[in-house]
Parts: sequence; C-alpha cells; structure tokens
Amino acid sequence: MGVAFVAHCLLNQNSKVRDGAHCAGVYSPVVDVLRARGWRVEQMPCPELAFAGLNRFWAVREQYDTAAFRRHCQRLASAVAGAIAARAEQGEEIVLVGVEGSPSMGVTITSSDPDRGGRPAWPEGTPEHTGGEGIFVEELHAELDRRGIAFRVAGETHALATHDEDTQRASLESVLEDGDA
Amino acid sequence: MRDERSFRVALVADRYVNAAPGGLDGLAVLAAADWGVMQLPDDAYPDEVAQLLLAEIAEQVEEFSRHGYLFVLVGERAGLGEALARVGVGLPPGVEPASAGELSEFLAAQPDPPALTAAPE
Repeated sequence: MGVAFVAHCLLNQNSKVRDGAHCAGVYSPVVDVLRARGWRVEQMPCPELAFAGLNRFWAVREQYDTAAFRRHCQRLASAVAGAIAARAEQGEEIVLVGVEGSPSMGVTITSSDPDRGGRPAWPEGTPEHTGGEGIFVEELHAELDRRGIAFRVAGETHALATHDEDTQRASLESVLEDGDA
Repeated sequence: MRDERSFRVALVADRYVNAAPGGLDGLAVLAAADWGVMQLPDDAYPDEVAQLLLAEIAEQVEEFSRHGYLFVLVGERAGLGEALARVGVGLPPGVEPASAGELSEFLAAQPDPPALTAAPE
C-alpha cells in the first residue's frame, strides 16, 4: 500500500475537455480499486484546465508543447513533487495514475499529430495515439528523477479504442501489487 | 459522445477523501450524488507544500466559477480562503458533516448550477 497521485479528472470529470466527461463527477472504476486495496488517494491539478480553460479544444501533444505550457507544467510539477516527496520521506510507495491518450496526462500513451492545427475539424477515431508520456507527466517525471524519488505508473484508458474496464482494472491492480512482490 | 459532467464541484478536505477508520467517507457520498471532487491538501503537509497546491486549486476554481459551475466546501482547509481571495473568488457554502446523511441533505439542498440554468436545451 502507498499513495496514488491521480489525474485530476479521475475525481472530477467536470475538468474534462467538452464532450469528454465519461460520468458526472468521480470516475469510480479507478478510484474504487485504489481504495479497496487501501491506497491513499491524492489528486493532482489538471494541467490543461488552468492553462487553456474549460472551453479548450481537443488537442494533441504538439499543440501543447510550447515553452509557455512547459513552464506551467513545471510549476505544477514542482508543487506536486513537493507533496510526493513528503510522502516518499515517510516511506510510502508512490504510484502515478494518469490518463492514457492525453497530451498532458498520458503515462505510457499520449497523442501525436504534427500536422494538427488551424480550424478544429478532424475525423473521428484515435490515429493520434502513440507511445510516450504527456507533457505534464514528462515534467513531473523529470522533477521526481531530480529529487531521486521512485514511482510506478498506471493509466486510465477510457480514451483508447481498445478500452476495456476489466483490463484496465487488472492492469491497475498489477501496478499496485508490484511493490508488494 | 454525450458529455456526462454534472457542473457540480465540491472542495473537499482530505479527511473526507481518505477517511480514517470509522470516519465519514465523503468521497463515496459525493460520487453517489454526482458531484465532482477537488481534494484539498492534507493538513499534515508542510505549509510551503500546501500553499503551492492551494494556489493551483484556486486558479482552477476561478476558471470553473467563471463558467457557471456550482461549488460547495466540505470540511475546511487553512489557507483556502486566502488562496481563493487572491483570484477574486469567495468561499462557497460549506458543511462539516458528521454523517453521510447530513452530507447528502446538504448536497440535495443546493441550487442548480448556473451553467445548467443558463444553457439552452
């Protein structure tokens, strides 16, 4: 057991980009697993909400990969890393729970399309998903590395075409159990 | 895809999210009532950590508030009022619930979010 630092939207779907909220408020499929296994839950800020606002467009990583957004993410990462460091100093295990496919919160899958821009119209589907971290997770990862803090990652997968709730649960449980081995 | 958001957000003290044994599980009540949760920093955090987190929370509250989302405060957190004041937002209506029933009643008594009452069908 330890502390799971979760993406903001897992406790508050109101923060999602418009048309992106899967439920009214708390996304229970992830939160319930963490709590059932005795993990403490701590919510991270939403990097996109405070920067681009509630009326932001759906975006890929390249659209957020600007110096200004990285400075914003570095500020957030510093604040979150302070909290993580306090827990790590108490000997707690740390897991980051991100949102797969997100340009900022992806932990192993983000989104990419170097050509996307201009008037926001593009086909349905998920061809933009690609391996890698979102920009906030990348900055937080760098900050935690700098502080010498070890952590594991898990991702909520609702945005992926391959999403399956049982698979998501099993994957999260596997990550939570890794430290117990 | 249909967007399921509730336009209702509760600022929630950590002890209602990570309840001690026998404590009130506020997160479960809020989830069942379709409220989103913005978790406030644990009181155990050093001030310098908590102040940074509260500043980020306040900026997000300001963005939600400008768009007509409804806020309540469940529990309390030192420094929250000051952080919100810095972005021009007041403390929302609050409750220190002793039971799930008390929290449920408080949530049920809240008005509709301005974003919903203003939105066209």
